[in-house]
Amino acid sequence: MAGEAQAAVEATRIGFSYGKTVALDGLSLSVPRGASFGLVGPNGAGKSTIIRIIVGLLKPQHGGIQVLGNPYPHSMARDMGYMPQLSALYAELSVWENVDFFAHVYGLTERRRRVLLVGECIRLVGLWERRNDPVLKLSGGMRQRVSLACAIAHQPRLLVLDEPTVGLDPELRVAFWRHFRELTAGGVTLVISSHTMDDAAHCDRLAFLRDGKVVAEGSPAELVGATGSPGATLEETFLYFLRREAGASDVK
Amino acid sequence: MTLNRSLAIATRIIRQFLRDRRTMGMIVFVPLLVMTLVGLSFPEDGILDYVAPALLAAMALFFVFILTGVSFLRERSQGTLERLMAAPVSRAEIMVGYLLGFILFAAVQALIILLYTIFVLKVHYAGSLWQIFVFQLIITVVALNLGLFVSTYARNELQVIQFIPLVLVPQFFLSGLLWPVEQMNRFLQHLSKVMPLTYSVDGLRKIMLEGKTLGDVWVDLAVLAVFAVSMTMLARLPQFHI
Repeated sequence: MAGEAQAAVEATRIGFSYGKTVALDGLSLSVPRGASFGLVGPNGAGKSTIIRIIVGLLKPQHGGIQVLGNPYPHSMARDMGYMPQLSALYAELSVWENVDFFAHVYGLTERRRRVLLVGECIRLVGLWERRNDPVLKLSGGMRQRVSLACAIAHQPRLLVLDEPTVGLDPELRVAFWRHFRELTAGGVTLVISSHTMDDAAHCDRLAFLRDGKVVAEGSPAELVGATGSPGATLEETFLYFLRREAGASDVK
Repeated sequence: MTLNRSLAIATRIIRQFLRDRRTMGMIVFVPLLVMTLVGLSFPEDGILDYVAPALLAAMALFFVFILTGVSFLRERSQGTLERLMAAPVSRAEIMVGYLLGFILFAAVQALIILLYTIFVLKVHYAGSLWQIFVFQLIITVVALNLGLFVSTYARNELQVIQFIPLVLVPQFFLSGLLWPVEQMNRFLQHLSKVMPLTYSVDGLRKIMLEGKTLGDVWVDLAVLAVFAVSMTMLARLPQFHI
């Protein structure tokens, strides 16, 4: 397949505004296939906007995007999984019914295969015993796990997760990252937005975002190395790049 | 477009409604209560016979509008619509799915109102019962589309509720429900022509009071179909990939 050698996501000088508020200001990034790629930045940096552009919910007003080798995400929607910031589940329906519904609309129309994959997925997120319970009876962390199961049941090649670990306790956060590593080991590409350095440390590559721009991109080790302080934490590294970007803007 | 995904959406909506027992109870009970109060408020049977077709049309429009408007808005506010739209599902598949899911409950509600009006409130009618029901079903399809259309422009439940005086109340007064359209001033007569309830009241009255058939009221049916299709097309689903 010609597109396999290309990046999973290639965004070039993307611009997007909500009215007068600029969300993305010439953002470019390249997500390698089979890697976990973290979009890290403070609130309002443009993380959710670029996520929505990648999954095809928003159309870039400037610049271009290629997803899995295709110029526009729609044709690749079946190969993508999306976990929004809100758990976005049908509260009256059971865990099984929620996962089964999203697997169905993502193209798993053959019932036997769907039952197999949905069951596998629910086991993977550790909710097999609660599979018949309505979502409204589950805790926040459990809902996040159902939401993840809904995003992965159809076995996507690209998984896009908007702040997937917000509100999770440390134990669950570790479990989530274990799932994510299993997925990338199987060749799935992960794009994860987060504002915590805890999540960033788990990613293969990172893009630091601020004011709708990428201020630095690389592996955590490369980014730390670029600060000139080998012992710097990721938090210090992030702040270093923010200050450098602010300094550059002042010079301009 | 495939019907498969639309059916998956419709099945999911039906399941959701069936699990919400209080809502299910209210879908049945509230129209009965309202029709009883309205029916008892008319002192003479003759007047109720004349007003009943218009009431049936207005009630179908009102209850189905509320049902779909609020339900669809809830999909948006809890984020499930956005999640659905990131899936490989087209705008048409989503709309057809919602229509199929809601229409079952809308039809049940319409049938309850109709049977209660005729067999309990003893309203006399001239046309055939099944043709009255089919016409009422068509009104519910228009109401479904109107509810979906309005909810895509509202950001919360409060805004949907405020669309009632804007979208429904003028129709109750100008559609010929309370007094003939011909007795209104010219401007209001023109205004009534762009309201689906005008054609609903006109068609249902002709069938119930004059014994006309669905074929005889084809103009009303055609206008209602145009309303339904245009509401669906104008519904502002979050755009982009579909």
